[in-house]
Amino acid sequence: MKKTLILTLCLLFPAMVAFASDMCRDEVFLRRAYLTVTGALPTPEECVKFLDSKEANKREALIDELLESELALKYMQMRWGDILRIKSEFPSNLWPNGVQAYNRWVYEQLLHNVPYDKMVQQLLLSEGSNFRSPAANFYRGFQKKTPQNFYANINLLFLGNRSCADNGYLCFSQIKFKSTKEWKEEIIYLDFHKEVPWQKISLADGTVLAPKADSDWREAYVAWLTSPKNRRFAEVLVNRMWYWVFGKGIVHEPDDWREENKPSNPQLLNELTDYFLKNNFDMRLLMKKILLSKEFNSKASPEGFYEPQRLPAEVIVDALASTTGIWSTYSSRVPEPFTFYPQKTRATHLGDATVSSSELELFGKVSRDVSLESQRNNAITSRQLLFLMNSSVLERNIRMSPVLQRIYMQCHDVSQLADAITLQVLSRRSTPQEIALYENHMQQNKLSLMELAVDIMWMQLNSNEFLYNH
Amino acid sequence: MKKIFLSLILSLSIGFVATAQRAKSVILIYLDGGPAQTETFDPKPAAGRNYYGNYKGVCKTNVEGIEIGEKLPLLATMADKYTLIRSMSHGSNAHETGHYAMITGDTSGGAVVYPSFGAVISYMKRDTYKGVLPCYISVTSANSRFNEGGFLGNQYKSFDTGGKPESSEYEVEGIVNKFVNKERLNKRMDLLNSFESPLNKKELDSLRATNMEFIWGESREVFNLANEPDSVRKRYGNTRLGQSCLVARRLVEAGVPFVNVRTTGWDTHKKHFQKMNTALPDLDRSVSALLADLDARGLLDSTIVLLGGEFGRTPKVLWEAPWNGGRAHYGKTFSYLVAGGGFVGGKVLGATDKTGEKVIERLVRPCDLIGTVYLLMGIDPFGTLPHVSEGDLPILPSLLEKGKSEGLLYEIIDFKKPSHEK
Repeated sequence: MKKTLILTLCLLFPAMVAFASDMCRDEVFLRRAYLTVTGALPTPEECVKFLDSKEANKREALIDELLESELALKYMQMRWGDILRIKSEFPSNLWPNGVQAYNRWVYEQLLHNVPYDKMVQQLLLSEGSNFRSPAANFYRGFQKKTPQNFYANINLLFLGNRSCADNGYLCFSQIKFKSTKEWKEEIIYLDFHKEVPWQKISLADGTVLAPKADSDWREAYVAWLTSPKNRRFAEVLVNRMWYWVFGKGIVHEPDDWREENKPSNPQLLNELTDYFLKNNFDMRLLMKKILLSKEFNSKASPEGFYEPQRLPAEVIVDALASTTGIWSTYSSRVPEPFTFYPQKTRATHLGDATVSSSELELFGKVSRDVSLESQRNNAITSRQLLFLMNSSVLERNIRMSPVLQRIYMQCHDVSQLADAITLQVLSRRSTPQEIALYENHMQQNKLSLMELAVDIMWMQLNSNEFLYNH
Repeated sequence: MKKIFLSLILSLSIGFVATAQRAKSVILIYLDGGPAQTETFDPKPAAGRNYYGNYKGVCKTNVEGIEIGEKLPLLATMADKYTLIRSMSHGSNAHETGHYAMITGDTSGGAVVYPSFGAVISYMKRDTYKGVLPCYISVTSANSRFNEGGFLGNQYKSFDTGGKPESSEYEVEGIVNKFVNKERLNKRMDLLNSFESPLNKKELDSLRATNMEFIWGESREVFNLANEPDSVRKRYGNTRLGQSCLVARRLVEAGVPFVNVRTTGWDTHKKHFQKMNTALPDLDRSVSALLADLDARGLLDSTIVLLGGEFGRTPKVLWEAPWNGGRAHYGKTFSYLVAGGGFVGGKVLGATDKTGEKVIERLVRPCDLIGTVYLLMGIDPFGTLPHVSEGDLPILPSLLEKGKSEGLLYEIIDFKKPSHEK
């Protein structure tokens, strides 16, 4: 069975032949794919279904299924929300209505798999009410509403430029804001009466733009930016997608493209960019290509193609909730009146950086104050480990866990118990060595089966295997 | 020009700051919701029922000429230990902007989110503070309305203890877990350590080992209120606020630089006076016990105590429906109590008019108070903080802007006399 699988994959990727022995096992691939694409652990049923499947191309089938799932769309929406800085309070000032509209807009782009160039065009050419024309929140979200600031952020987001010296910002100098009678609503509009700038607008690559009066000056810039000829535009997204999957860009940091900051693998970047352009900026296809790569299918090791990554804050918090079956409740405390999220809302689906919890803060939830990817801090701290090791909150959740209760009711011996918990927490079956270890722990400490279940869940939630995407 | 001015200030402050340090720790007792200045530290009995409501009298304090609210008799016996600021003002009447102003000192409304001053102190002391306990601790939870770490990042946010210090078992998050004793946790760690992992990481193992020492070491005893005599626990009062103040004293004694004691229930739009009748005696007992205890242990000279909220409440009572005797948010005038750590006692700074609606003397902005706290903590209030994309930013931008600062509070701090010389 395994042989046919490897063979299939080798046929898919000739280059992989040499690396077939370094391929990750199915159980590793399963967990990695779920966490990367959906930000959620697979359910035990999903694990069993995949692990027991004899289909030759089951990895690709799983990727196809996951990429179109609701969870995947919402998780991708969170990544976009981070860099578009979607939050209702300081310093982005979108207000809850704007946040809702903006999130919905991002979600729909992803649902319909709108090509990247089209999505960026809608964002940059947006106008109208921040509540009624969702994409206009792109401009509304900036505290400093100057053409220079818009331009600096556009450069950062879509070209990976941390500094820009050209005067392209003039294309954004018609943008004006007008308040309405509705609280915090603003109309973003263009002032066509503004005099045409006397300076030439010349971009860094030498392109000269000549805007005319009575027209939207942004159009010329956006046409240049999103054109397939502007290879950098496509490269930045390709690299960002790579970063989202591996936690490290081919150009790293992914938003710091400079002459001195060279790509670690120019050929790979080129191939992926060609593929992305050939497929008309199709982001889902690009993601699929990355997920089928030898890098994504490799064994995890610090020196290898796939480096283990600590799970992002929202993913850890959701994983703790799904394994114990006890979910946090979230509410938006800014502004009044408070908004209460439905029960079992995933942290990855909150959509507003202002909504948080002490656990999310502990594990480094992004505050969405700047559009840099590096604002996400996935470093592991002693305080995070302290929480996992000895928090009474987590201890209570394990002890009161409806999931653990159900497992306990259904299992009659250590081996069944271990398998059920391990599927729940680590998305795999337990090994004979592990079962022996648990039996020994139970006897030595004279534990009941239930107390053993508590200790096993505690131990697995504290394990590196749980904390990392590996 | 602005730059020259700035560098002049900066050069003046070098050296000066080092000698200005008086305090080692700050205790912020934060009355979340906004306490009424009229019932606490700026009483206006002469303004009549429309302003002073159901209260009639005041407490004369042990300092000639200083009077405080009638429900604060214990604090009235020790006015020589603290100073009252009656002219705090930021003009904001919304909770979130009020909190932001009082906790960061920033009212600039600029494009960056400033860290809370606890986080700033935590950042500034990151190399010099060597204690086992976190540098910035909230008893029992920090403000939930905004991102406390600001642009400095999450690692400088407060450690929230959680739990109920007033109960028989104070469960401090991550440290005291009543379900698990030392033996059980050790066995669990053995299990974890023998669990075969493809991802063994030495640095994680060592963090876990340090955590084990932390859990069972001296920090646990600092939080263990059973170590205090019953008489002391009683003096602070067996309430959340009282026992939290006692925890704060123990933390300061252990060297923690910033302790935030947050108490809620001060947002009294309705039933204001009924609520004050129970809240004020609790406040009076807790804070007076803390000040007296710090003083008796010789800690007051090196510990700044701040008491106040995000704003005050309308000096005019809202007798009409639906409030039926409430007070609304008021950011134009409110009061703070400051004590210890270089702040002098027995003084009043600033004044409001007859009804308490306007400041008529020595306006104090949030940045003036927080800047003075920085100074007393040996931190340059005109210094800078690193921002990830904007470079170095002023630690208190409002302090540098005309009209946003009225100057540091030199009137009520003591420089010349070192704190140990009585």
